[in-house]
Amino acid sequence: MHLELGNIFIKDVQFAEKTHVKDGVLYVNKEELEALIREDDHITDVSIDLARPGESVRITPVKDVIEPRVKVEGEGDIFPGVIGKVNQVGSGRTHVLKGAAVVTTGRIVGFQEGIIDMTGPGAEYTPFSKLNNVVITMDVKEEILQHAHEEILRLAGLKAALYLGEAAKEVEPDEVKSYETLPLLKSVEKYPDLPKVAYVQMLQSQGLLHDTYVYGVDAKKTLSTFMYPTEIMDGAIISGNCVSACDKNTTYHHLNNPVVADLFEKHGKELNFVGVIITNENVYLADKVRSSDWASKLAEYLGVDGVIISQEGFGNPDTDLIMNCVKIEDKGIKTVIITDEYAGRDGASQSLADADAKADAVVTGGNANEVIELPPMDKVIGDVSVANVIAGGFDGSLREDGSIVVELQAITGATNELGFNKMSAKGF
Amino acid sequence: MVKGIEKYGIPVVHMCTVVPISMTVGANRIVPTIAIPHPLGNPNLDEKEEYNLRKRLVDKALDALVTEVDGQTVFE
Repeated sequence: MHLELGNIFIKDVQFAEKTHVKDGVLYVNKEELEALIREDDHITDVSIDLARPGESVRITPVKDVIEPRVKVEGEGDIFPGVIGKVNQVGSGRTHVLKGAAVVTTGRIVGFQEGIIDMTGPGAEYTPFSKLNNVVITMDVKEEILQHAHEEILRLAGLKAALYLGEAAKEVEPDEVKSYETLPLLKSVEKYPDLPKVAYVQMLQSQGLLHDTYVYGVDAKKTLSTFMYPTEIMDGAIISGNCVSACDKNTTYHHLNNPVVADLFEKHGKELNFVGVIITNENVYLADKVRSSDWASKLAEYLGVDGVIISQEGFGNPDTDLIMNCVKIEDKGIKTVIITDEYAGRDGASQSLADADAKADAVVTGGNANEVIELPPMDKVIGDVSVANVIAGGFDGSLREDGSIVVELQAITGATNELGFNKMSAKGF
Repeated sequence: MVKGIEKYGIPVVHMCTVVPISMTVGANRIVPTIAIPHPLGNPNLDEKEEYNLRKRLVDKALDALVTEVDGQTVFE
């Protein structure tokens, strides 16, 4: 499967009469975008703001972040099975508004939502402070329950990203990158001397507002399976969850999965990146046993020499992570796991809820319990009062002057377990 | 907490869904439960069936409490 990604570098975003891209600026017709969001009559109020890098702006509670993309050639639509047709994606050509994003916010859905600061110390911890964000604040009818509320905002964000992505269709990209994964036997034949490596991506699927969708299928109802990595670049996996902001994978993270990007970078040179195994993180022990059995069985069947395993979220998924690691190691396949830590504010507590001596190669995204003070911002988009109740916040987090004291847990993407952040730790 | 209480010579039964975590933290008597969001219940059952389920689990835990164990034991 072969995909070309045409990146169009966006250095600014502005409101204008027509939505289009010119000279690296994304122009947005605010009224048209608002009308699109209002098509869903559950939504009672919409406002659209722009938030650029360096501006004194705080966005909270952040629901999802989505990169605008559009299919230019090849089968399928971006976000297949969710709002696009369900046809297979991952081949042909896709254009990307690199440097732009849709951010969704509004009345809080679940308590594990986050903060994006566009400047100051908090901005250092979230990759989304570097983007030109089109921020959509939505309110829904009072009687709508949490799960329906989550779905309404999820779909609205994806719709907005597709709408903006359309503007990239006719634009000549600044760079074109090419990604190809051959069928397994051909790939092994082509690179007989390189170690075969697969990526095991664990998807958050605990339910109760902790969900991920694959081609529109709720991941908690799936068995572990194979994917071509380029399918993920076309939005085959999307976020529908309110798990802790610091280590949830937003849809933006999925589209730009750095494990996939880095494995492709080394593909054909240092290693043979044969593909992706996706597996879930459910709340029944039987599911954890079954899914990790399947993930290890698929790794064995592929005949790989090593795998990289990434986790999403923390707590009981630590068990899924360790089960995957141990079972794959027991097949004689080397593993590296990527996780983050909840080691207490002083970093002295046990980092994970589960452990095993076979997990001897671990990459951490940092300690989510570290405390940070976020100074007041000139403008707040969303509802800042949630700072006292979101995960990582506490009663008194929000001070009278607008400053916030929180654990890094509350900052969107701060300890991301795909490595889409700056924090880590080194052991000697 | 399990280990902290047992330190004083009081036996503890850890009722939990994720048995591997219970093993890792060192519980000696483990009774597996239903699911993480509802360890001692099951919203898919009707009220009477759920009551029976809860009673069975608690009975099992009480039995475990008075059972001599030699190392970590899971009461399936």
